[in-house]
Amino acid sequence: MFKLLVPVVLLAVVVIVSVVSDRPLPPADFTISNGTDVTTLDIQRASWMQDLRIMRCLFEGLVRHDVFTVGYDPAPAVAQRWEISPDGLVYTFHLRGDARWSNGEAVTAEDFVFSWRRGLLPDTAADYVAFFWMIKGGREFYDWRVNELARFNPKEASADELWERTLAKFNALVGVKALDSRTLRVELEAPVPYFLDIVAFPVFYPVYPPLLRQYERVDPKSGRLKSERGWTKPPRLISNGPFELTVWRFKRDMRMERNPHYWDGANVAIDSIAVPSIEDPNAQVLAFQTGAVDWVANLTVNYRGDIWADKVEFYAEHAAEYEALKARGLDIFEIDRHLPSDPRKNIHAVPSFATYFWNFNCMKTLPDGRANPFRDPRVRRAFAMTVDKRVIVDDIRRLGEPIARGLIPPGSIGGYESPAGLKCLSDAKDERGKLAIAAEARALLAEAGYPDPAEFPPVELLFNKDAGHDLVAQALGKNWQRYLGVPVRLEQKELKVYKDDLKKANYMTSRAGWYGDYGDPTTFLDLLRSDDGNNDRKYDSPEYDALLDAAQAETDPARRLAILSRAERKIMEEDLPMIPLFHYVTMYLFDADKVSGLNPHPRTTQNLFLIDMLGDGKGPDVSRRMGEGAHRPAVAGDDGDTP
Amino acid sequence: MAGLIVRRLLQLPLILLVIYTLTLTLAWAIPGNPLENPEGRQPPQEVIDQMKAQYNLDNYWAFYTTYLDNATGLKWMREKFDGTHAIDDQMARDQGLAPRVRYVFDLGPSLHYKDQRVNEIVAISLPVSITLGALAMLIALVVGLGAGVVGAVKPNSFADISTLVIALIGISLPSFVIGTVLLIVFGVWTKVLPVGGWGSLSSFVLPAVTLSLPFAAYIARLTRMGMIESLDADYIRTARAKGVSNMNVLFKHALKNAFLPVLSFLGPATALAMTGSFVVERVFNVPGIGQHFVNGVQNKDLFLIMGVVLIFATMLILFNLAVDVLYRWVDPRIE
Repeated sequence: MFKLLVPVVLLAVVVIVSVVSDRPLPPADFTISNGTDVTTLDIQRASWMQDLRIMRCLFEGLVRHDVFTVGYDPAPAVAQRWEISPDGLVYTFHLRGDARWSNGEAVTAEDFVFSWRRGLLPDTAADYVAFFWMIKGGREFYDWRVNELARFNPKEASADELWERTLAKFNALVGVKALDSRTLRVELEAPVPYFLDIVAFPVFYPVYPPLLRQYERVDPKSGRLKSERGWTKPPRLISNGPFELTVWRFKRDMRMERNPHYWDGANVAIDSIAVPSIEDPNAQVLAFQTGAVDWVANLTVNYRGDIWADKVEFYAEHAAEYEALKARGLDIFEIDRHLPSDPRKNIHAVPSFATYFWNFNCMKTLPDGRANPFRDPRVRRAFAMTVDKRVIVDDIRRLGEPIARGLIPPGSIGGYESPAGLKCLSDAKDERGKLAIAAEARALLAEAGYPDPAEFPPVELLFNKDAGHDLVAQALGKNWQRYLGVPVRLEQKELKVYKDDLKKANYMTSRAGWYGDYGDPTTFLDLLRSDDGNNDRKYDSPEYDALLDAAQAETDPARRLAILSRAERKIMEEDLPMIPLFHYVTMYLFDADKVSGLNPHPRTTQNLFLIDMLGDGKGPDVSRRMGEGAHRPAVAGDDGDTP
Repeated sequence: MAGLIVRRLLQLPLILLVIYTLTLTLAWAIPGNPLENPEGRQPPQEVIDQMKAQYNLDNYWAFYTTYLDNATGLKWMREKFDGTHAIDDQMARDQGLAPRVRYVFDLGPSLHYKDQRVNEIVAISLPVSITLGALAMLIALVVGLGAGVVGAVKPNSFADISTLVIALIGISLPSFVIGTVLLIVFGVWTKVLPVGGWGSLSSFVLPAVTLSLPFAAYIARLTRMGMIESLDADYIRTARAKGVSNMNVLFKHALKNAFLPVLSFLGPATALAMTGSFVVERVFNVPGIGQHFVNGVQNKDLFLIMGVVLIFATMLILFNLAVDVLYRWVDPRIE
């Protein structure tokens, strides 16, 4: 009999040993659901939103965005101040004396040279390597290294010798120099008015060179700098941000604790952040509802439209109060804080730096040789006018997304004026108004040589099969059939096939979207440049290109933005290479009465070191408001040489 | 017995080599490039070529041999004895940094998760899956054996029919249905157990019960069949005639024989339970190894696919061996 118990006893021992050895961690001050786990903390190789969010806690660059200003203004971080030469080409950064790595060592200008060289080297394989090409000699150095590596033959030359030559080449060619350990001089290839915005992006943050040298070796066979993994894990990781990484159990959890060496630690109101890895969207909602998570950073659950409908209902119940608060100019989170406590208000739709649009193929002929009706801007305008964006936003998406009249989300870039855009069906008050707009559109079609819309070539709408794009395509198709009278055909394809068709311009009209990378209109407008790699519409307008070139040459920021605004007006009111449909929103779950420090800016960059848990006795316990800046007194960490 | 163990352990590398070759060939044929992400930003083409070359993704045979060299520990031994490790560690100490972590059996880097090595992924997720699997098998054994014995004592009684029905439900309902129902009842409505995560003993309960149900049902059926057969046997009648108490007949004499088929089922079942279940892990947010089987294939993460498949194969072979050893020990007639 006792022999039969052996398997039972063995299994029980395994369970007991595990329970005893794997104790749960104590709760953290702030717990977030970051979606899936971080792919990398190697900052030069960053690419994903969830990675960038954690990197901004662990590392700090020369400047950072003040996320509570409308312009996301660059604010001092490791650099205490900086000078820009009058021609906009040379930036001199002065590093603060009390910036420290988490092991207590000083952060130096040489650390930045090392890190930016790392970002530029093709060996690192950085997704955002093109950002470093803005620096003088960056592209040339990159191409030189690519060629040298391609030519490298271990029988003829030594890898170490190539590496020595590479370092010399970098120093000779690339405009990044440490004048002394606290002064960094950066020279650009051409003026980049938004360069400080780029420098605030994590790929420009520093890594600790001694740590990296331990993990990076020159491979004698290929000549490449090969990097081994492991340096991003605690306790080995050394970082310079407000927090340090103490636990990272992949796909399980992450824990960040206050970095005792951080220069501005006095202004951080929480001691620890826990990041459990919760992949299932439904599990994220449950974790929030049971209080296990304070903030769900990206709510993707398929019933989020219904949760949002509850919030809309809540606003309707408090309509008078809501309108009054809105009239005071409060941001959406502040408005919620002033309304009565209610679990329905915990969902938040934050407008994003992203636009959902519908492409027109602008080439003369389609790849299969047919004539392309959409080469004529009048045809594209007619189609863009006969779209009811309101139906798509209110009845199909149901996420409170704002209707798009232009390509760039309005209010996302300080000082930039968005064009009014072309009128469309959703501007009409009633059916009669719609028919009037439709008549105008049909007149445009007739002018373009299609007096009888029924003889218009069947309009093909290409989209990939996921995420409800089919419903949007159906709505568009119905609009065009009804108000223009043209025949339509829907083409649903697998994501990879769809992407391939898009790249080869093998379509008539297609679904697309774009997320901006940096705080400048060109992050969107470059998409339409005739020679841009992402110009899937094959839009080719010398006038438009000339406007972008003129903007690039313009040194006055206000005039430059005015030129870019003209460029956007050209594509959104005259040429219409695409129809902007709506701007995406990002959905958050958090209790605004409890959590302060998240901002509702369309750029959706969240600096979690600004979080203050209201009423916990730590920090000022006063909520932060959009538009008044992040309240950073310059006193902390001043070392006496402020100008 | 010792001969059996030695023979099986000698077979192990050969079987693994065959599994390795087959899996790699199949995984290599998955369309797509593991270094590209269809929805994200694309690095320049040179960068992609660079990475392909670094991981030997452009050459099947180079990949095949390099992986074997790393995973079998040959490379580790070479570097250990030619002094590379000692030089490296000395360099780290000179810089005041912690020496690097090295693995004897190095399963390589994950292609999708740029910071992770497959060894690290396995080291974090396998203990979770082993714990969950052990608890699930424990529940399955206790419940399954109990239900089987109850059913066998009075075949076709109410108790027997009800265990049959429950067992059928356990086998036929998919775990995402059972898991979600348990989650709603115990996590959301009554709030007696946490809705997910991994940490305290209470968070183990729901996933373990969900994972155990199909195994419990199968064990119950096996036990019932075995018990009914042995209760009919002559030696049981003799035992009863001798005046052995009913309890002793059931548990000492009958169950001993009826347990043998259960024991042989336990080998593969435990290996299966302990290498995780994608569905149970996802529903209850358990950080086990099961998710990596699916993620690995979806991302065409060759190193991760090879790593988890080889771990699973090794565990399967070892558990089968353990069961065979137990088998002989429980029933010395088997040779």
